[in-house]
Amino acid sequence: MRPARRLDPIDRVIALVLGVGYVLLLLSTVKDLGYARDEGFYFDAADAYGRWFSDLWRDAGAAMAGRDRPWSVNREHPALIKSLFALCHLWLQKDAHLFALEGTSYRFPAMVLAGAGLSLVYTWGARVRGRSAGIAAALLLGAMPRFFYQSHLACFDIPIVTLWLACAYCWWRAVSGGGAAWVPLTGLAFGLALDTKHNSWFLPFALLTHAALLEARDRLPWRRPEAEAEQTAQRELLGTRRRRMLGALLAMATLGPLVFWALWPWLWSRFVFARLAEYAAFHLGHEYYNMEFFGRTYWEPPMPLGYAWVMTAATVPAITLALAVSGMGLSLRAPLGRVRGWWRARASQIRNALPRARATDDPGGATLLWAIGLGISYAAWLSPKTPIFGGTKHWMTAYPFLCLFAGLAFGELVRRARVLLARWWPRIAPRASAMRRLARGPLPEMALAAAVMAAPITETVRSHPWGLSSYTPLVGGAAGAATLGLNRTFWGYTTGAVVEWLNREAPRGAKVYVHDTSWPAWQMLREEGRLRRDIEGAGSLQGADLALYHHEQHMAGQEYQAWVAFGTTQPAHVAGLDGVPVIWIYRPAAAR
Amino acid sequence: MTSRRRRALLGTVLALPLLALVELALHLWFAARPPAFDDWRALAAPVAELRQDGDLCVVAPPWAEPLARAALGDRSSRCATWPAATARRTARPSRSPSSASGPPTWRPGARRRAASRKFLLRRLENPAPTPVVFDFTEHVRPPLVSVGQVTPDAEPDAPPRSLDCAFEERAAVLAGGLGGHPTFPPQRFVCSRKNPFYNVSTTVVAAGEGFLPRRCIWAPPPPAGRGELRIRFSGVPLGQVIQGHSGMYWILERMRAGAEVTLVARVDGEEVGRVTHLDGQGWAPFSFPLGAHAGAERADVELAVSSPDPSARHFCFEADSR
Repeated sequence: MRPARRLDPIDRVIALVLGVGYVLLLLSTVKDLGYARDEGFYFDAADAYGRWFSDLWRDAGAAMAGRDRPWSVNREHPALIKSLFALCHLWLQKDAHLFALEGTSYRFPAMVLAGAGLSLVYTWGARVRGRSAGIAAALLLGAMPRFFYQSHLACFDIPIVTLWLACAYCWWRAVSGGGAAWVPLTGLAFGLALDTKHNSWFLPFALLTHAALLEARDRLPWRRPEAEAEQTAQRELLGTRRRRMLGALLAMATLGPLVFWALWPWLWSRFVFARLAEYAAFHLGHEYYNMEFFGRTYWEPPMPLGYAWVMTAATVPAITLALAVSGMGLSLRAPLGRVRGWWRARASQIRNALPRARATDDPGGATLLWAIGLGISYAAWLSPKTPIFGGTKHWMTAYPFLCLFAGLAFGELVRRARVLLARWWPRIAPRASAMRRLARGPLPEMALAAAVMAAPITETVRSHPWGLSSYTPLVGGAAGAATLGLNRTFWGYTTGAVVEWLNREAPRGAKVYVHDTSWPAWQMLREEGRLRRDIEGAGSLQGADLALYHHEQHMAGQEYQAWVAFGTTQPAHVAGLDGVPVIWIYRPAAAR
Repeated sequence: MTSRRRRALLGTVLALPLLALVELALHLWFAARPPAFDDWRALAAPVAELRQDGDLCVVAPPWAEPLARAALGDRSSRCATWPAATARRTARPSRSPSSASGPPTWRPGARRRAASRKFLLRRLENPAPTPVVFDFTEHVRPPLVSVGQVTPDAEPDAPPRSLDCAFEERAAVLAGGLGGHPTFPPQRFVCSRKNPFYNVSTTVVAAGEGFLPRRCIWAPPPPAGRGELRIRFSGVPLGQVIQGHSGMYWILERMRAGAEVTLVARVDGEEVGRVTHLDGQGWAPFSFPLGAHAGAERADVELAVSSPDPSARHFCFEADSR
């Protein structure tokens, strides 16, 4: 592995373009997407926090005295991201009226963090393997259908992906020769991650493992230089790194909890430890929700151990996975080669034949950290007790690392293509100098990128606004997944895909049974005018004029309730992805 | 560069982009393969031509069934999943010949392609249909049926106390909503004004681990945990057996924490069979041979439900005599 390269201004521009471009793409597609169940709860929480922020501005003393009540809303999740939802709604929507849809103002901070995630992936990939690797890694992350769907939402799943990655990146910069500022930045990023979602609890394990493995790696015989001067240089380098590692861990242990506490006013209480225990207990003993997997609904342990792997294979584009596996193989090639060489040298007792690695070779262990990030993000699903109800979103922190490996393979692919063209092209067309120039220029990169990105981009674009119903060709697409009995949708967000039909067909003042749509999500559709304001939501079928049904295996009873209540089994409208029904609507037989 | 190395290099450079392009092609092919939602409308006429009274309609793959119902209307309400042993024939829209095969013993009949060859319609004949003599599930209304609760008195020698459940033609529809009880239709026997849950009616429940729709007689055991809920069918014809299935909403049953529920069948006062439903059994079959009552032209049949603990017992059963 080469030492990390320095970024130049062009890299910063590329990172910015990738991030801003992705946010603009999300903004341009958000109007088609209904609100997910959990978003509705976070709207409520953000509104409560927003009122508190307004009170704080007007009368800080009173707001501080009455802080417990607003900050107790949705206290099972930390406050940072919901606070951003609240502030964005207050400043950018209520004051500046920046967004066409009210709900977008809550969603915007998570979109920005999604864009920041892509920028960061580019930055890391470009530092480790060059510009094309970085671009490929960022684009492959953005072109994952599930990541794209989640990136629109006012939820914590994408923010934690970015902050998890940010913490790992700060750590890597701290231990791989970056400035000393990366040490406290690691602690700060950890604190922000802690205040985002509980996936952050795995970060210390990941970074401690990385530190331990780096230490072990540099004790390997082929990493010990022969020359005195080199030994001194290595001792200095490792000493600095050790100090940085300790400093970063210390920052995580001190600054992390401090930031976590400071940004979550619910913890500003003399019951802070009891509240922390309550928060931890909620997630350590989380209720098991239903999730269909291969035609069976799982709702209690043991959960299927293959769930995370199968769902990753079924939802992440195959080329992204293939590139990632190739990238992992490539990053193993050099260390394995050294092990083999050392073994041979030892067997033949030729000491001078020992293969040497320079002390400066990959001092921060970037690919090792990626591998650890990937492994730790999936580790929880090695236990049959880990809930699976979140579909793929719960291990999404692994995806940037997956894409960084994929970018690494893409970089190597470009390199090999250039070698091939440089050595082969003259034989085919010795006089075609223009083509030779093209081969040296960006053509191979662009051609390979077009080929590699075509499937992920097409799958992602076509998945919208049915992100959770989207599956890759590995399982036969949406139809194949439905046949296999993989979950078709959850969270009730597909109501957004039928508002047009409701606006057209619902009688004046109609009552609609909302099924899995949460109340705040339904209300948001009405308030922002996507749904006619005279159409009311109903929590039961009695008296309803129309009934929604979002298909999930364990919710099938909701459809049967509509059959009996409305005296018909004939849906009035069916909508879904690629010929597969995802949401359908019933209307009483008498009203037809 | 040796030619072997060059070939290896070429292979690695081409393999991944090729894989990506294959993935793209497969994605587009899989996406275009199922009929579009609008294509299903074109099925109505060809299915009507093929179909005869009493035919069941089965859709393959099963997830496409709502589309068939939307296109074919309530005439397709007899769309069913296998087994469909009582049906003589089935009209079967299907997306491909491979997915259109029915039970192996059913004889293939007419077949045709429809709607730009996206659909294959097949007619399958049941070689040995078992005619239903009387379907209890479809006749839960007076004057054929009466419902009551019979509770033994605390005094051993005293006669049991009885309570009649009045039939209502236009009661308010009650549906449980998210995670709640099934819908109670307007036509039902009301056994308690205070507790609308305690009624007898024909509804549809999501019973068994597959959450499939089961049209059945809603018959919760008496709330006190004593006595029986009795559903009497007067003067009905009988075949050789009374058979059917019993179960309840799977979300409740799967916890395996509820009390057993017993269903007893009596013909002209004589018990012909009983089945005890235990949590976890799903949509469980039962069959009661009728013995001396077999083939009776008119008989009084009583189906009685009881449980030592009626908490969360969403008991439902379907029964017929054949």
